[in-house]
Amino acid sequence: MKTRFLTPIATVVCLFGAAASYATGKVWEEKTAAIGTIKELPRGVLDKKQLNDLIKVGEDLFTAKFTKADGAGRPGSTQAIVPTKVRHRSEQAFARLSGPDAQACSSCHNDPIVGGAGDFVTNVFLSEGFTNADFDTSDPQFSNERGTNHLFGAGLIELLAREMSDDLAKLRSRALKDASTSGEPVEVALTTKGVTFGFLTAMPDGLVDLTKIEGVDTDLVIRPFSQKGVMTSLRQFTVNALNHHHGMQAVERFGARWTGENDFDEDGNDNEIFAQDVSALVAWQATLKTPVQKTPASEGWRTAAQKGESVFTELGCATCHIKALPLKSLNFIDPGPFDVAGTLNNRQIDKSATYDLALMEWAKSLPRNDKGEVLVALFGDLKRHKMTDRRIAALGNELLSQRFVGRDIFMTSELWGVGSTAPYGHRNDFTTLDSIILAHGGEGRAARDSYDKSGDGDKSALIAYLSTLVIAK
Amino acid sequence: MRYSSKLISLLLGCSLVGSPVVAESEVPFTFDVPQMEEVAASAGLHHSYEGPWEFFVGGGVASFDCNGDRMPDLFMAGGTAPVQLFVNRSKAGGDIKFEKVAIGLSERDGAKALGAYPLDVDNDGHTDIVVLRLGENLVLKGGPDCSFTKVNRSFALEGGSAWSTGFAASWENGAQFPTLAFGNYVDRRAPGSPWGTCEANVLAKPNSDATTPDYSSSIALEPGYCTLSMLFTDWNKSGTPALRITNDRQYYRGGQEQLWRIPANGAPRQYGRSQGWKPLRIWGMGIAEADLDQDGLPEYALSSMGDTMLQSLDKEADTDRPTYRDTAYEKQMTAHRPYTGTDLKPSTGWHTQFADINNDTRLDLFIAKGNVEAMPDFAAFDPDNLLMGGVGGKFHEKGKEAGIALPTRGRGGAVVDLNADGMLDMVVVNRKAPASLFQNRGAKTSWGNRPMGNWLAIELDNGKVNQFAVGAKVTVKTGNVTQSRRIQVGGGHASGQIGFVHFGLGVAERAKIRVQWPNGDWSHEYRVFANNFVQVTKDKPDALYWYPKP
Repeated sequence: MKTRFLTPIATVVCLFGAAASYATGKVWEEKTAAIGTIKELPRGVLDKKQLNDLIKVGEDLFTAKFTKADGAGRPGSTQAIVPTKVRHRSEQAFARLSGPDAQACSSCHNDPIVGGAGDFVTNVFLSEGFTNADFDTSDPQFSNERGTNHLFGAGLIELLAREMSDDLAKLRSRALKDASTSGEPVEVALTTKGVTFGFLTAMPDGLVDLTKIEGVDTDLVIRPFSQKGVMTSLRQFTVNALNHHHGMQAVERFGARWTGENDFDEDGNDNEIFAQDVSALVAWQATLKTPVQKTPASEGWRTAAQKGESVFTELGCATCHIKALPLKSLNFIDPGPFDVAGTLNNRQIDKSATYDLALMEWAKSLPRNDKGEVLVALFGDLKRHKMTDRRIAALGNELLSQRFVGRDIFMTSELWGVGSTAPYGHRNDFTTLDSIILAHGGEGRAARDSYDKSGDGDKSALIAYLSTLVIAK
Repeated sequence: MRYSSKLISLLLGCSLVGSPVVAESEVPFTFDVPQMEEVAASAGLHHSYEGPWEFFVGGGVASFDCNGDRMPDLFMAGGTAPVQLFVNRSKAGGDIKFEKVAIGLSERDGAKALGAYPLDVDNDGHTDIVVLRLGENLVLKGGPDCSFTKVNRSFALEGGSAWSTGFAASWENGAQFPTLAFGNYVDRRAPGSPWGTCEANVLAKPNSDATTPDYSSSIALEPGYCTLSMLFTDWNKSGTPALRITNDRQYYRGGQEQLWRIPANGAPRQYGRSQGWKPLRIWGMGIAEADLDQDGLPEYALSSMGDTMLQSLDKEADTDRPTYRDTAYEKQMTAHRPYTGTDLKPSTGWHTQFADINNDTRLDLFIAKGNVEAMPDFAAFDPDNLLMGGVGGKFHEKGKEAGIALPTRGRGGAVVDLNADGMLDMVVVNRKAPASLFQNRGAKTSWGNRPMGNWLAIELDNGKVNQFAVGAKVTVKTGNVTQSRRIQVGGGHASGQIGFVHFGLGVAERAKIRVQWPNGDWSHEYRVFANNFVQVTKDKPDALYWYPKP
């Protein structure tokens, strides 16, 4: 048995510099040296060197092939986001449906480079791990199959979501205050950064009717990650994924504070991933560069792309795939404000760390508006939409809702990097941009029909334009 | 589970040195322990339960909202001191604040109160209060802005002249108004009193033909065995609650704990030995119900002098055969003597209440403790218990660590979120001492306090009749964990509460709610997010969220 004890807060071990070398044992030892290297949770504003050191550990963890000695595998528990014991133990180390299904994060997130998306072969299966099958099958009645998303620009995405969630909470508070003052119900449009999430009605007694909200959860927290838009933060995504895909259980959710056990997955390893390890992974992901719009080498492509940019707007694509959303602050705080117990958040610790994304080289070229806000060219709205209708229903191929979100409702895919991340669609079912555009039903139907009716020239121009949105190698 | 042998040795060593109570399980308690800060004085809650022998028992508090702001207000019995009403002035997440307001009762009616239970008897949307007294019991009809009017006469309720110490209420299926049960203690006027002179209990059913509450006829539940707590409970999932009564062996002769069938039509009948009911004789002080193993069949914690009992249906039980066995020892819940200090005599338990005080999904048990007065064979220093639910259904005493081990004589109490921060606070009525008010600050750390697990607070609206859905069962599902609570008026020790039902959700971010309404109908599933107050209204498709004023 290997036992890792939680390091007392008072123990001060220098974080920075630790990343240079993890050598504590034999170099061929089959375990990940980066785990546990950081002794304290980062706190306060990190300078460039401190941030880079943390990122280095995060990258090493992201690319590490976790081993049994690290704690990989979870024979005694499931992939569920709430710690759940298995009913039947698997004889296999890996399984497609229930996981673990990868040895490293980068096993799937690698196209075109580490942190990127994945081909169909990297699809994952979202069986909640509570009552669904614990046998291995890809039958859709037991799980939803999803492609691997890329993570580039993810820090900015999370910051946008936080600012939007803040805005929505303020709108709710103001409506409640107005209703209390006036003694009458007050309806308010939930609009933030130009994106409307429907309406809510606040009653004078503090009750809130949420039946008219659109594309966001009833707590009005924008959850920007996953195709379904059900993950609040990179931190929550990381804790979920470490358990699901690798059987590496983070102490902040699976530790004794919540489960009564240090080895909840019963694999012989206590306290497999500490909060500071998760922080390093978050730092690496949050500081990944943004995708870019490349300038094609050929004149023909350049011309077509230029035309395609106009077509993109004219056809209505930009209604949901909004080219850019304004972001007020580049300070990425981790642990963050919108996670709840089970994912470390800023209420659970004395002081969070602040990563100033402006320190990153890629951030220097980010465009700003006249208010000084960064324009995040995500080509998305961070809102969920129904993507099927009676005639166009190819994206309605899932049988199970996920975390209260209907089976044919998905978060608008951010198109930055789309030129580098084929195949397309939530299940990676579509090999071409043309085919995924034509698969848009429901709320995307009007734009899709405009595209379908447009001439070959416009279609070609649009594809040319989208193909310039790439992840630079 | 794996723990280093050194760690286990250390923890066991601490347990043996620090706790003289029982050899606890070798599984340490690793969950959050809340820091309960005593804030009664700063919160403006100044109250003491006073009086001679007749007020050795009682000392109740009713927790409910009397002014429509959904914040719990407190009505406190004072014994020979007057009853007091404290209106909640707390801001959400802030320090708890109360303001004492006048009730408008006569000096006579405001005195000699032993207990108080809130419920909306007349379905007008304002919570009423049933006040248990030494002498005439009262029904105070609630009105706007915490106004109350004595309505015994208009409700045709004969308040009696007994020494009343227990109360429970239930809406029979289809009834417009609740059935009221009053538990009485010693008949002081009987020859030989107090020994063997227990007063009969009273069951008051509403006149089914009346359009307003009419309790002009009542039934004596005889024999009475000096009742100190009673509770309508659906012990066998029949849909028709029976009346469970805990009695004080100090004064009865030939008595025992009781369970009465209360049929809609026909006379109440007490379960006897031939129906599987095993006589149990304890100094019964309080009842708390919870379905700890989620089998649909509730367990009952019974406070007493010495052992606390935890009754679970035995394998010999059947749907009409209420055979119970005590599981307190195996669950580490006996709490039979003080867990700290040098006084090793048996302790004396009063108010009991299950609640998830650290929001970890595991129910905890609060027991108000305190010597009756100066009984030499029982502990004089007898701190309140906080038995926290742990792994394997075992309970761990954490009263000292939480900060509630005070040298008071606790009686009634309420475990309720008083400042809308999602963490349960505690109010304890103490005999001949200021009431305690423990504000839950969250888990203590080296840098301050941090919130504990996620939570959910649910308010039910059953419609025009029985609006607060007394008798309903609320279930909350997170992952594979299902929790349930029954909405009840009764139990505890002379203390009741109406309002939001609290659930700890641990690390779950979402939850699914289903309600079995008092008429037996199950609701559809309501999907809600953690850390919210929600209102579920019968036959409405969506839950509403409620936000307290900041």
